[in-house]
Amino acid sequence: MYTVSVLGSDAEPTVSRLVEAAEGRVGTVRLETAADGGRTRAREATGYVVDDSWHASGEGLSVRDAIDRLAPDHEYAFVLGAPEARLPVVVAGETDAAVGDPIVSVDGVGDLDADAALGAIDGTDPYETLESLVAAVKRSDKATYSGAIATFTGRVRAKEDEADERTRYLEFEKYDGVAERRMDEIESELEARDGILDVRMHHRTGRIPDGEDIVFVVVLAGHRGEAFRTVEDGIDRLKAEVPLFKKEVTDEETFWVHERD
Amino acid sequence: MEWRLFANLAEATGSKRVDVEAGAGDTLGDAFEQLLCEHPDLEAIVLDDEGDLEDHIRLLHDERDPFTAGEGFDTVLGTGDELALFPPVSGGRR
Repeated sequence: MYTVSVLGSDAEPTVSRLVEAAEGRVGTVRLETAADGGRTRAREATGYVVDDSWHASGEGLSVRDAIDRLAPDHEYAFVLGAPEARLPVVVAGETDAAVGDPIVSVDGVGDLDADAALGAIDGTDPYETLESLVAAVKRSDKATYSGAIATFTGRVRAKEDEADERTRYLEFEKYDGVAERRMDEIESELEARDGILDVRMHHRTGRIPDGEDIVFVVVLAGHRGEAFRTVEDGIDRLKAEVPLFKKEVTDEETFWVHERD
Repeated sequence: MEWRLFANLAEATGSKRVDVEAGAGDTLGDAFEQLLCEHPDLEAIVLDDEGDLEDHIRLLHDERDPFTAGEGFDTVLGTGDELALFPPVSGGRR
């Protein structure tokens, strides 16, 4: 799923144009702060109302949680009102938010070329989660022959032990293009093994705070034995062969991890 | 010809891309020497005591390792080739 934050005074009409032009399932997430700031009645944690269409309401969902829920079965997610989200940015119209380097920037929705904007959005790193990759292999043509899915998730460890300084975040830099191609090669080589039906790997880049997921390997296989072996080989090969560089920022210091290992 | 540098190598030179004079027909060794000449700070990071490339430093010529897939530093460069120099990839304990 491609995910962008749309900011600016023309964000709403811009998202409407993008939704219309996009192919596949599209989701939107709006961050709104209630004007009265308070709750008026006791509510359940989550409420679904289901019919031919459905709607939901609830508490305690972050923008990121909402995006994560869309990721398994949407092609695009457009996020409104959340300049703090760590996502590629589209700007339409005036904005007060500090926008680093937008992938698309127009003075107003009238200047928007929706197809060109979608082209730029398709050029960003897709937003993947463990669930989105599992959903993708379950949709595989070969899923009929699968009796097992094995997965690996690598995450940002805050501490090695109790006395360890807390890691605040990791920052990953990749050799663009080459990293993706090397991952594709590893996937294809693992898929050539007997009993291995589909392999998906994804590594996030940029700044990742402690506790968040970094890397996923998902293996669709006939049986569990080859699934376990392949998921282990997959993450080992990814770590050894894919040009990704890890910088660690703790409470006290900043360093490139390869200089310490 | 352009070198792409990553992680601490980019920090040491203050730049992720470095242009050198070497072009088509020159060797990888020429381009490498010019890179070190322009950024002497790199030497301490990428060369060992003998002046050879450190084992853990990786060099790619058009995405391939020229020391296994080509003629090493004698590899002849073509127009628009991409050169990259980087530290070990992110690793992590098993």
